[in-house]
Amino acid sequence: MSNDHLIEARQIVKNYDDFRAVDGVDFAVKPGECFGFLGPNGAGKSTLMKMIYCFSPRGGGELSIFGLDPDKSPAEIKNRMGVVAQTDNLDEDVTVTQNLQIYGGFFGIARPVLNAKIKELLAFMALEAKADSGIRELSGGMKRRLVIARALLNEPDLIILDEPTTGLDPQVRHLIWAKLRELKAQGVTILLTTHYMEEAYELCDRLLVLDKGKVLAMGKPEELVKNSLPAYVLELPAAEKDKIRLTGSLQMETHGDKLFLFAAAPSELEKVAVQFKGQFRIRTTGLEDLFLKLTGRDLHESE
Amino acid sequence: MNPNKSRKIPSFFHLVGAVWYRHYRVYQNHFFTNSFPTVIEPLILMLSFGWGLAMAVGSMDGVDYLSFIAPGQAMMAAVYTSAFEESYGTYFRMMVDHNYDAMLSTPINVTEVFWGELLYTGTKGAFFSLVVILVLSCFGIIHSFWGLLVPVVGFFTAIAFGSLGLFAARLVKNINQFNFFITGVVSPLILFSGTFFSIDKMPPYAAVIAKVLPLYFFIDVSRMLTTGRFNNDLYIALPYILIVPMVLGHFAVKAMQKKMIQ
Repeated sequence: MSNDHLIEARQIVKNYDDFRAVDGVDFAVKPGECFGFLGPNGAGKSTLMKMIYCFSPRGGGELSIFGLDPDKSPAEIKNRMGVVAQTDNLDEDVTVTQNLQIYGGFFGIARPVLNAKIKELLAFMALEAKADSGIRELSGGMKRRLVIARALLNEPDLIILDEPTTGLDPQVRHLIWAKLRELKAQGVTILLTTHYMEEAYELCDRLLVLDKGKVLAMGKPEELVKNSLPAYVLELPAAEKDKIRLTGSLQMETHGDKLFLFAAAPSELEKVAVQFKGQFRIRTTGLEDLFLKLTGRDLHESE
Repeated sequence: MNPNKSRKIPSFFHLVGAVWYRHYRVYQNHFFTNSFPTVIEPLILMLSFGWGLAMAVGSMDGVDYLSFIAPGQAMMAAVYTSAFEESYGTYFRMMVDHNYDAMLSTPINVTEVFWGELLYTGTKGAFFSLVVILVLSCFGIIHSFWGLLVPVVGFFTAIAFGSLGLFAARLVKNINQFNFFITGVVSPLILFSGTFFSIDKMPPYAAVIAKVLPLYFFIDVSRMLTTGRFNNDLYIALPYILIVPMVLGHFAVKAMQKKMIQ
C-alpha cells in the first residue's frame, strides 16, 4: 500500500451473523485531512469506525492505518490514535483531572509529563475551572469536551470522532468545531461520522456518503452537491403535487410531506413559484438535499 | 504528523497495573460502604453461632466450633467481593458505563484489561480476608500467627471466584441471569466446601466432588493457618490454590476476548 495515505481501505467487509453491515467499502485518507462519514442510522458508519480503531476485526478486504494492519498491530496503531466514541464513557466516580490521569496511564505517559499535558488540554478545551469537579457536575457539553481532551493525551496523529456533537447545543457545537479546526491546523488528521450536514460542511475536506454498508458517493462537499443535483431548489408541501407540471429541466423529489423541485436556473423555478404567490422561497441546493436523494425517501427504521 | 515522536507501547505489566490503578482509584470512594458488610457479617454470624449452634455442636475436627468456622468467614468475604465484582461489576462496566470501550481505545488489549481486573479483585479479596481475620482474632478464635497469611489465600480465592464471575458475565443475556450464578454456583460452593461442617460428614463421593471444586482447599489451607495445625493435605492443597486460580483466570480472560471482540 502506498505511503502517502494515513488510512487506506480496500473492499472492506463486516458481517454480523447473516447481516452485512459493511459491504465492500473503498476509501483513503491523506495526512492532515478531515474526512467524514455521512449516512443515516444503521448505514454502517460506526462499524466502519470500529474496524479503524481496532475494536472490531474486519470480515474481509484490506485495511491499513499508518501503514500498519489493525489485525496485526493494534497496540501500535492505537498508541498514535485518539478515539472519541459515541457515548461519553468517562469514569463517573472520580474528578476531571483523575479521569485524565487514569487514561494517561494506559499510554504509559510518565506522571510529570502527563500532569503538564492535562493542564494544557484542560485549558485548550476551556475546562480549567472544572479540573477538580466530579463528572456528575458537568453538563453534556463539558463531558464531550473532556472526552475530546482525553483523546488528545497521547498527542495523536489521527483522531476519530463518532458523532462528536450529537445532542449538544449550538454554542458547544461551534466551540468543538473551532477546536477541531485548530487541531487540523496543527496537522492532526481527523476522521468523523455525523448526521449533521452543517457539521460535514464546516469541517470535512472530503466526505463519504454511506448507506446499507455501501459507498453511495465520495468527494468534496461542494463538488458532491454540484455533481449530483441541479443548483436550485424550490420546497413545496407534497399536497401541491398535482399543480406541478414538469417542464424543461425540472426534477421532482418527495420526502415525507415535502416536495422538492430542482432546476439548473432559478428562472425555471420562478415560473412554478409564481402560482403560489411567493409563499415558497427558492434556495440553492445543499448537502441535505443530496443526502435525502442518495439515501432514499423512506424512514430507515421501516427497512 | 510528527515523525520525531518515538513513543513506546507500554509493557503488559505496566498496562495490567494501569487497569488495577483505574479500579483502585475509581472504586476507592465506595471502599468504606463495601467494607461495612464484610466486617459486620462475620460479627453477626459469630454472635449468632456463638450463642446458639456452637453450644450444641461443641467441637469439630478437634477444635471448638467457632474456631472451626472462622477461616471460612475470611474466605467467604473474598468469595463474595470477587464473585460480585466480576459478574455484576463487569456487566455494568460493559453494558452501562462503557468503561471497557474507553480502555480498549488505548494500547491496552482485552487480556490486559481482564488480568488487571483479576489482580484488583485479588487485592480486594486479600484486604477483606485480612479485615475478617483481625475482627475474629478479637474473639480469640485465631490460634496462630500463621493466620496473618490468610489474606494471601484470600487473594487467590478472589482470583478464582472473580474468574467464575467473568464466565458468568460472558454467558448472561441480561442482568437477572446472574441469579443462576449466585444461587446456583456461589452459594452451594460456600455451603459444601467445609465452611460450616467437616466434609467427612458427607457421603464419600460427595466429599471427593467437594474437594475438586474451587473453595474447599482454600478453606482447608486457611484453617491450617488459623489453627496452626498443619497436615499432609497441604502438599495437594498448596499447589491447588496457586495453580487453579491462574488456570481459571486464563480461560476466563479467553472467554472475555470472545465476548468483547466481535
